[in-house]
Amino acid sequence: MTGKIDAQSLSKTYVSARSGERVEALQNVSFSVAPHEFVSIVGPSGCGKSTLLALVAGFVAPTSGRVLADGAPITGPDPRRGVMFQDYALFPWRTVLGNVEFGPLARGATREAMRATAHRYIELVGLEGFEHRYPHELSGGMRQRCALARLLANEPEVWLMDEPLAAVDLQTRNILQDELLRLWGDGGDPGQRRAVLFVTHGIDEAVYLSDRVIVLGRRPGRIKETVTIDLPRPRKALRNSAEAGRYNEYIWNLIRDEAARAIVEESA
Amino acid sequence: MNARRALLPLGFFTVAILAWQAAVLHSGQRALYPYPTGVFEAATRTIEDGSLFAATSQSLLRVLIGFALGAAFGIPLGVLMGFVRPVGRAVSPIVDSLRSIAPIAWIPMALLWLGIRGNAALFIVAYAAFFPFVVNAAQGARLIDRNLVNAARALGAGRALVVRSVVLPNALPAILTGARISMAFAWGSIIAAELAMGIKVTSGGSGAVGLGQLMVSTLYVRRDVNGLVLYMIVIGVISFLIDLAMRRLQRSLTPWRT
Repeated sequence: MTGKIDAQSLSKTYVSARSGERVEALQNVSFSVAPHEFVSIVGPSGCGKSTLLALVAGFVAPTSGRVLADGAPITGPDPRRGVMFQDYALFPWRTVLGNVEFGPLARGATREAMRATAHRYIELVGLEGFEHRYPHELSGGMRQRCALARLLANEPEVWLMDEPLAAVDLQTRNILQDELLRLWGDGGDPGQRRAVLFVTHGIDEAVYLSDRVIVLGRRPGRIKETVTIDLPRPRKALRNSAEAGRYNEYIWNLIRDEAARAIVEESA
Repeated sequence: MNARRALLPLGFFTVAILAWQAAVLHSGQRALYPYPTGVFEAATRTIEDGSLFAATSQSLLRVLIGFALGAAFGIPLGVLMGFVRPVGRAVSPIVDSLRSIAPIAWIPMALLWLGIRGNAALFIVAYAAFFPFVVNAAQGARLIDRNLVNAARALGAGRALVVRSVVLPNALPAILTGARISMAFAWGSIIAAELAMGIKVTSGGSGAVGLGQLMVSTLYVRRDVNGLVLYMIVIGVISFLIDLAMRRLQRSLTPWRT
């Protein structure tokens, strides 16, 4: 079975440079993401969900196991797998336009082509008129849109998203969730959708957006359960539905105890 | 309102100048103590015969060349030290020990190696300008958000583009801060170096006389205290203008900084 992304028996152990202490961030994690599938990863803090995304992005190498993209082992970052970061990681010295142009620039597009691509995606995320603003001149929601446009401008086959909506307020988050679904093709042809791996600590967000939700436990991070969200698309009408609520409750029950323990341990 | 506010300091300044003039004239020690009208006369004389402009531009030229040399060697080394950790660990003990030696302490060595020509002064200036560039560029390159590097790589950037488009712009504000300090150091040490190189150059009939050398000849040959004060004022005004220009440059080169 070859998916767009296949993680096989992934383990990651960090060794603290100062104390030499070994921390097992992930233990024997296997999953796959199908070509047009939206998969979320949820879990309490300390479950290694961001580590998992960094492994799939190719930023770090696993201690054991491997990740395949289209059947080939991942050895480093690749523009076919676009990444969106929690803090957006926009280049502060580049304007909105400059940020969105960076992917095409890096891949050797001509000046005209990269400008045209950038403008198209800036318009798509609703940032037209803000092309020449620097990131520090944008609101949180606008920065998030800019990061999304930057990712999309490279037309990646896989979207890797590390808590991209964690830093915006609740109303903005709801709006951006709908935007994300629209850009992904929630209401359209499933064949046009990209594979998405979406890390979040918001269970309701994961349920609302995803085809499947991978629930991680903590210390060490491992898969507790994979929940298939069997809700029709488009999802817009289902945000506050009873069905979505049942999924939320089910997943919450899976991680509640560990989440409570995480609070105590994090503060210790 | 603004004109009114300027009135008090301006009035005080005028009174102070008048008091200074009166005090020196009444002391009868005009050869020893400078006074305002004397400074003014020295200014008109040296402007008319062109010596002030020639010496100032000579010193500035040395500073600019030394500054450029310091930047050319200091920025690449600093970026390398900051971005490639082993290089930083290997080199920083040497850099740190060398930079704690005041540049002007090198003057005797520079005179020995390079003679009493402009090159010795150039060496001192380049040396003084070098270290602020190294230290600040290293810090700017070291303090980088790894996510920015990762973001660039995930967008398809290779090593060269990461350095050019992420590491360098990230270090630029720190490098420009280093440039301001370098410029101040360079301008400070050119005067010291030229003072030390001194009068022999002038007796050699060389045209390459900087402000410091002009001060030496003004002190020992002309014995003109008013001239000395004039050069001090020129040095101060140039420092001020240089820093003003550097700050402007910093702001226009890093528009993303609030």
